[in-house]
Amino acid sequence: MAAGFKTVEPLEYYRRFLKENCRPDGRELGEFRTTTVNIGSITTADGSALVKLGNTTVICGIKAEFAEPPAESSNKGYIVPNVDLSPLCSSRFRPGPPGEEAQAASQFIADVIENSEIIMKEDLCIANGKLAWVLYCDLICLDYDGNILDACTFALLAALKNVQLPTVTINEETGLAEVNLKQTNPLNIRKHPVATSFAVFDDTILIVDPTAEEEDLATGTVTIVMDEEGRLCSVNKPGGSGLTAAKLQDCITRAVTRHKEVKQLIDKVIKSVK
Amino acid sequence: MPLDPRRVPGPEESQPPLLYAAPGQAAAADEAEAEAGALRPLLARAGLLSQAEGSAYVELAGGTKVLCAVRGPREAAEGRGRLLCDFRRAPFCARGARPRPGPAAAARERELGLALQEALAPAVRLARYPRARLELTALLLQDGGAGLAAALCAAALALADAGVEMFDLVVGCGLCRAPGPAAAWRLQPSAAQERAAAARLTVALLPGLGQVAGLLGSGQGGPPESWAQAVRLGVEGCQRLYPLLRRSLLRAAERRAGLPRGLPPPERDPPDRPPPPEGPARPPPPDRP
Repeated sequence: MAAGFKTVEPLEYYRRFLKENCRPDGRELGEFRTTTVNIGSITTADGSALVKLGNTTVICGIKAEFAEPPAESSNKGYIVPNVDLSPLCSSRFRPGPPGEEAQAASQFIADVIENSEIIMKEDLCIANGKLAWVLYCDLICLDYDGNILDACTFALLAALKNVQLPTVTINEETGLAEVNLKQTNPLNIRKHPVATSFAVFDDTILIVDPTAEEEDLATGTVTIVMDEEGRLCSVNKPGGSGLTAAKLQDCITRAVTRHKEVKQLIDKVIKSVK
Repeated sequence: MPLDPRRVPGPEESQPPLLYAAPGQAAAADEAEAEAGALRPLLARAGLLSQAEGSAYVELAGGTKVLCAVRGPREAAEGRGRLLCDFRRAPFCARGARPRPGPAAAARERELGLALQEALAPAVRLARYPRARLELTALLLQDGGAGLAAALCAAALALADAGVEMFDLVVGCGLCRAPGPAAAWRLQPSAAQERAAAARLTVALLPGLGQVAGLLGSGQGGPPESWAQAVRLGVEGCQRLYPLLRRSLLRAAERRAGLPRGLPPPERDPPDRPPPPEGPARPPPPDRP
């Protein structure tokens, strides 16, 4: 009976739960799904992390290569994120070049890296004007069950913390780089941005960490990225229903608590690997 | 290299640090010399993804990791049932340069996708799915050698997990032969051995029926007897892997019967460790002379 009602009137089915302040999978409106993270599993990559947010699974692999710094800023390196949403993770995606959602997610991650200054691009420069590191961050979604942006940001952060770059010296006579693969250094991660996504229902109710079904039924979404000093790095609200300032403030408060939870989890994992 | 407008722009060209490393360091540190007939321990798990009808993950000790998902049967316009296979390599799967995602990489992967499809087609009862299509996506997360063989195993497991009617599971085994006149064929080579090999072969077998479903080989292998011996070795290797794959399917079915799909199992190892390989994952050692 319930399954039939859910198929015919999904929104009404949902509203019945929201009236009782809970959701069909048993969570509160402000509760996240179980988050697990596993780092360093891909040994061919320079840094890797696998994040599971409930069923949503994202794996991030980082490969570091050499390139010439860009012409306009000769003392900076590059960080190139690429989010890959393929038919592997959900049937809503078609094979081939990145679709709209993948492009939007890649651009969101690029903005988060830029705005939060998670890594200073100057740190990636080896020789001014001649050689710099390029970090290719490939985020592949393995299982799509909503809230892809939170999972991608978390996977990126965990993978960056796991990266080990070999030491590079420029030989004075030949001018060529000499790489020592045995001696590696971790990256200098300055800030730890954590994203928290919300879905808006009927222009009034906010729920955190939406699943794919909830995202489809929602009238809007908001993503807030905070760093550890309680500073706001970015707010992403792609259209959808409007939000009052008070509601936005509630979102920010929830994002601050989420940041603490995620930071604790990541510190525990990094410590256990060492 | 034209910039792809759909992706975040990066530098026009980039080189991997391995090119600039001192020669001694480039070789991988731990290349344990395994016996020629020994199979690497295999971890196979079916039924992991919530959004796919069937899924499987296969990992070979030494670093080959493949994840496969099956969708379908979906409605298709034409008369006969079709199996569409897509084999993708993650950009971070190989040591060395990162291949740029784009049309060039897609062309490389199409051959492997076709090989997968041709090996799986004999096993699937497509006649039972008229006017339907089955979509299979295999993703190679890390290439530690024998990637196509592991993908074959994962694909067959995923199809079985999806409940698609099959005649038998397909088991894949990779072999390679080092350059040199008297070199022997090795089962399941590592990535470095594969790179340095003079000839490579992947055998796909239907073990229950004893039929070879697919063969993909290339290189200078020597006389035909050498290739025949390689195929025999591959077939033996597949037979030894078969019980492991069947056991993983059984476990997946038990898990599905015991717990609702999608919820994590109640007892969980610390989430920062990958699941331990199953106890009897090591296939029986070859008979010693």
